[in-house]
Amino acid sequence: MSGEKRKGSIILQVAILFALAIVASGIITFVTQHLRANQSVKQQAENHSAEIANEVSLAVREYPGYRWLLRYWLEHWDSMDVEYDVDFSGETETEAKYRSLHRRNPGLQLRYMEEEQIEALSEEDQKLYAEICYSWLITRVDTIKQTHKVDYLFCVVTGEPYDTQFFLFSAADPGAVRGTDYEEVYPLGHVVRDLGESQHEAMGSACRKASHLADAGDYVDYYAYLCEIDGRPVLIGLTSSLSELRADIDRQTWQETLSALIFQVILSLICLGLMSLFVLRPLKKIQNSIRLYERSKDSAGVAENLREIRSRNEIGELSEDVVKLTRELDQYMGRMESITAERERITTELALATRLQAAFLPHDFPPFPDRQEFELYASMDPAREVGGDFYDYYLIDEDHLCLVMADVSGKGVPAALFMMVCKIILQSCAMLGRSAAETLAKTNEAICSNNQEEMFVTVWLGILEISTGRLTAANAGHEYPVLKRPDGSFELLKDKHGLVIGVMDSAKYREYELTLEPGAKLFLYTDGVPEATNAEERMFGMERMLRALNTEPEAAPAHILQNVSAAVTDFVKDAEQFDDLTMLCMEYRGKGMSKNDDQAERKN
Amino acid sequence: MLTINKTKEKEELCLALEGRLDTVTAPQLEKELQGSLADVKALTLDFERLEYISSAGLRVLLAAQKIMNRQGEMKLVHVNETVKEIFEVTGFCDILNIE
Repeated sequence: MSGEKRKGSIILQVAILFALAIVASGIITFVTQHLRANQSVKQQAENHSAEIANEVSLAVREYPGYRWLLRYWLEHWDSMDVEYDVDFSGETETEAKYRSLHRRNPGLQLRYMEEEQIEALSEEDQKLYAEICYSWLITRVDTIKQTHKVDYLFCVVTGEPYDTQFFLFSAADPGAVRGTDYEEVYPLGHVVRDLGESQHEAMGSACRKASHLADAGDYVDYYAYLCEIDGRPVLIGLTSSLSELRADIDRQTWQETLSALIFQVILSLICLGLMSLFVLRPLKKIQNSIRLYERSKDSAGVAENLREIRSRNEIGELSEDVVKLTRELDQYMGRMESITAERERITTELALATRLQAAFLPHDFPPFPDRQEFELYASMDPAREVGGDFYDYYLIDEDHLCLVMADVSGKGVPAALFMMVCKIILQSCAMLGRSAAETLAKTNEAICSNNQEEMFVTVWLGILEISTGRLTAANAGHEYPVLKRPDGSFELLKDKHGLVIGVMDSAKYREYELTLEPGAKLFLYTDGVPEATNAEERMFGMERMLRALNTEPEAAPAHILQNVSAAVTDFVKDAEQFDDLTMLCMEYRGKGMSKNDDQAERKN
Repeated sequence: MLTINKTKEKEELCLALEGRLDTVTAPQLEKELQGSLADVKALTLDFERLEYISSAGLRVLLAAQKIMNRQGEMKLVHVNETVKEIFEVTGFCDILNIE
C-alpha cells in the first residue's frame, strides 16, 4: 500500500516548522533588541552621566558656602595642605584639624556655614575649614566614583576659549596615587593644557547648554555646568567606559531573546498538544475507518465509527464526506455487480448466438461425401461474435445444387438477425424450384415488405445442374464471382448485376447461364476479402486476391481457401479484422470424373 | 477518417465528403443527414474526394434517397471510378441519381 511510503507524522512536521519559526523569530528578536539597545546606549550613557554629575553637584551644593570654598581652593591651592582620599575609620589628620578648629570656635557647624560665617573666621581657621571640607568632599566624590564605576570623575575650572582645565578635585579609587604622571590621579591645582579639539567643544557647549556628552567610541566624556566663580565656569566632568554598559545591554538582549524563545516554545508545545488532540486524533479515526472499510466494505460500520467526530470544521466535513463516499461506493459496487452479471449474460448469449449462427450454416466438409461430381469448401470468419456474411449450399433435388454467397449491410447482432431471415427466405424460394432470378426477386419482395431499417443484402445465387454442368445464376449487387476454366487460371466473371435485396420491392433480376467444364472451379467471396485493410489503410484488392487464387490453381478447394486466407492474413498483419471474411470454392468434376480419378490425374 | 464539408443555400444542401465512408464513419454521415435534411429540397453529395464506400455507407445513401424521394431530389456528383464500380456492382446506380 502507498500508505507505507507516507509514514510520518503531521505533528512532527508541524513541530519542525514551529522549531524553524522559533529559531527565525529568536534571530529577529535578538537583532532588533540589539539594534534598539545600541541606539539607546548613548541615551543611557547620557542619563547615567547626568545622574552621576548631579550627585556630585549635590554633594558640592550641600555646603551652603560652596562658592566660597571653590573660590578659596582656586585661589589658595598652592598654600593648602590637603589630605586626599581619607579613610575615616581611623585617626586622621582631618579629624585633628577639625578638633583644633572646634576648640577655637566652639559650636561651629562646619557643614552648614554660610559665606558670612566663614568670612568671620580668622585666616588660619578659614584655611583649616577649606582643607577639612576638601577632604570630606573628595572622600564623598571617591565614593560616588566607586559606586558608579566611572573611569574619571572630576571638577575643573575653565574659561574661554576652553583650552585649559584647572583641577579642583578628581576622584580616585582606593590605593590610587596622587600625582601628575600617567595613571596618577591629579591633585588640587593641576592644570591641563594639551586638550583635544573635542574637549574644547564639549566644555564650550557644556557652559552654554549646562551639560554635554562627547561620544568617543568606547568612551564618553560628559561635562555638566556647576556654577561660575569670578566669571569662570566650573564644570563637573566624567569619563566612563561604554564597554560595561554595552555588556549590560548584551546581557539584557540575550535575556530578552531567551525569555521570548522560552515563551514561544511553551506556546508551540501547547499548540502541538491541541493539534494532536483536535486534529490528529479524529484524522486517525477517519483513517482507521477507511482501512476498516477497505477490509470489510461495511459503510454502516464506518458511519457508526465516525459518529463520534462532531467537530464543526473541515475535519467534521471530511468525516461526513467519508461516510457519504463509502455509502456511494457500496451502492456503486452493487450496481457494478448487476452490470457485470448483465454483461456476462450478454456475453454468454453472444457466444451461444455465435455457435448457433455457425451451426446454421452448413459446416461439415466434405458436405456431400457420396457425390463425386463436385467438391466444395467454404469458410466464414466474422469480424465480431456474429456476422452478416453468409454462404449457403444445398441440393434442391438430385441434380441441382444451389450455391449462395451473401453479405448483409452492417455488422454484429443486427446484421446476423437480418442474415438469418435472408438465408431462410432464399432457401425456401430456391427449394420451391424457382430459377435463380425468381428466387432473388421473391426474396427481395419479402424483405422489402418489412424493412424499416434500410438494411439490405447483396446476394449471388447460382443453381448448378450437376449432370450437365449448366450454371444459371443471378447477382443482386454482390461481388463478381471468380471462375477458373479447366487449363485456365482464376478470372473475374463480370456478370450482370441487379440491385441489392431490400431496397426496392420492384427490383428485377436478370439471369445468366454458363456451362462449367469438368475441372472448372468457382470461387465466391464477400467484400471482406478484397477490402481487408492493413495498418497503412491499404486494401488487399482484387489483384492480390486473384494472385493468391492462382498460386496453386489446381489445388483442392479447401487448399485454395487456405491460400487466400493466408495471403490476407499476411497482408493485414496486426491490423484489426474489420469486416467478415467469407469464401466458398466449388470444383466441378462432372459425371465422368470420380474424385479418385481426379487425384490420380493431379499426380500425373 | 471522414470529413464532411457542408454548404447550405436556402433549400439546397451540399455535402462534400472526404475520406472513407465505411462502418466506422457511416454513422457520422447518418447523424449529419438526420440533423439537416428537414427543409431541404435539393441534396447534392460531392464524392470528388471520397476514396471508398462500404455497404454501411450505401445504407446511409439509401436512407437519404428515401427521404429525398419524398421532399425533393438528391444527386451525387464527381463520383470517381472506384466508387462508381461499387455502385454498379451493387446495382445502386439504378436507384441513385449519379451525374
